[in-house]
Amino acid sequence: MEYQLHLFIITGIFIILSLSLNLILGYLGQPALGHAAFFAIGAYSSSLLALNLGVSPWIGLFIGASFAAISGMVIGYLTFHLKEDYFAMATFGFGLIIYSIIKNWVGVTRGPMGLPGIPQFVAFNSLYSSLIFYCILILLFVLVTIVFMKRIIYSPFGRVIQSIRDDELAAEALGKDTRRVKIMIFMIGAFFAGIAGSLYAHYITFIDPSSFDVMESILVVLMVILGGMGTIGGSILGAAVLILFPEVLRFIGIPDAVAAPSRQMIYGFLLMMLVMKRPQGLMGKYKLW
Amino acid sequence: MTMQTAMISQLFLNSLIAGSIYALIAIGFAIIYKTVKFFHFAHGVVYATGAYVAYAFFQIHRFDFISSFILAVISSGILGVGIYQFVYHTLQVKKAPNLIYLLASFGLFIFIENLIALIYGNQILFMRPIQENSSYSFFGAAITLTQIIIIIVSIVSLVAIWTFIEKTKLGLALRAVADDPQTAQLVGINSVRLTQVAFFIGSMLAAVAGILISLETNLSPTMGFTAIFKAIIASIIGGIGSIPGAVFGGYFLGFVENFGILFIPAIWQDFISFALLIVFLILKPSGFFGIIPEKELI
Repeated sequence: MEYQLHLFIITGIFIILSLSLNLILGYLGQPALGHAAFFAIGAYSSSLLALNLGVSPWIGLFIGASFAAISGMVIGYLTFHLKEDYFAMATFGFGLIIYSIIKNWVGVTRGPMGLPGIPQFVAFNSLYSSLIFYCILILLFVLVTIVFMKRIIYSPFGRVIQSIRDDELAAEALGKDTRRVKIMIFMIGAFFAGIAGSLYAHYITFIDPSSFDVMESILVVLMVILGGMGTIGGSILGAAVLILFPEVLRFIGIPDAVAAPSRQMIYGFLLMMLVMKRPQGLMGKYKLW
Repeated sequence: MTMQTAMISQLFLNSLIAGSIYALIAIGFAIIYKTVKFFHFAHGVVYATGAYVAYAFFQIHRFDFISSFILAVISSGILGVGIYQFVYHTLQVKKAPNLIYLLASFGLFIFIENLIALIYGNQILFMRPIQENSSYSFFGAAITLTQIIIIIVSIVSLVAIWTFIEKTKLGLALRAVADDPQTAQLVGINSVRLTQVAFFIGSMLAAVAGILISLETNLSPTMGFTAIFKAIIASIIGGIGSIPGAVFGGYFLGFVENFGILFIPAIWQDFISFALLIVFLILKPSGFFGIIPEKELI
């Protein structure tokens, strides 16, 4: 049972992460390939605040997410004008910069040694009850994220977002300030990614740079594309499939040395095949091309 | 010879070696980019494949090094053509937007990289065909025979490829396809065939770089990632799609990274290059010798 609850929590965290990327990638249509950076900023800021200054995770969660949002704003401001693949490279580079900072700024982040002993949200004595507590907490956060995303998407502002994706020039011609909209969406997306990061850090209680590398960003992109860009259900499905699927490999009993690369191979193959053959993903309405 | 000059010449040497390798990968990347106008990210995994195939022939099957080298370079060239034919060409026929090529290329990169990890394991491997008995002195800095070979082979390859593109008929046809594939087709150039040539040559150059660096450092399945990233950064600095620009960008990056450690600790080398990428993309996306107008990039 504990293991299933653990999977539930991890899936929930990744649902928040993929929903936050879906806003940028699926609804706004901007290929952000460095989303793990915002996840990392949320995780590291609230962990460091808790470990060094004794800030409660509840407050750290929002401070971390705000830091992520601020970086999202800066990145949005610097890159919003770049064309699709150049934008992809720039955000990718940004992901690498953040990764390189958390890996090399040993004095603060302890680099590859990672940060152990991150306090949990509420300390229960029994592991079981704290797991149940986390499940409820994550479920709440997932629901809040879904409601928030829906509110944005079905608002007039949401239609502006999607009009930028479908025809940026037309949106501009109608007098929409596309630059402002883009930067705001980066901020919101980054904010929720930061929340996911903080939830992750305070649940696992240990973080190191390997959880925030390039593959993590690509995995989230894959979740969004697999489920279907521009759909809430798609992101949930994509995250669930890609988190739970490796467990199947483990269940079959493939040794780890084979399972790890095979899993990545499947991810790579899936990404290639999806963009080539089924760009709308499993349940998407919006086709990438 | 003072300590100071010895250190400067050592840094110069390191920059030259790193720059040569970067220039080789970047020039291959640039030849391909110039022809097809999208990011061939999987170029990095072709580079790694070159090194691993050479390793397989040399260390496992006990071929002599020269034959291993040639076989690895040619098979990487074929891999490059295969990637074009089975992935990109299908997309070209369907007129996919640029981003699709990049994402498909990413997927392919991850796939092959992990295939290598599955076959050879994640540990680092070594390939040392050259017996190092002593090192030579270069203005106070030590240089090994391997390093001399790396520099010479790189420069010879760079000159050879430049001559090929500028002086031969095939090179001219290649430039024609790069400039305007439709018009090239009209005057009787088979642009698909020429694109295959571009992939073949570009991939061979990547393999040369991959094998050369393995002689100096080591092989690991993830080696292609840093390499392609450096190549992309070098190409953007030099001006994306420009062949001399890629060479310039490669050496520029090599020198900035290595001389950068005079000011910043060496662990930040990669950080410097990622920062350079962002700076160039934001401030000067067409690079130093950009042939593609700025307004097409932003």
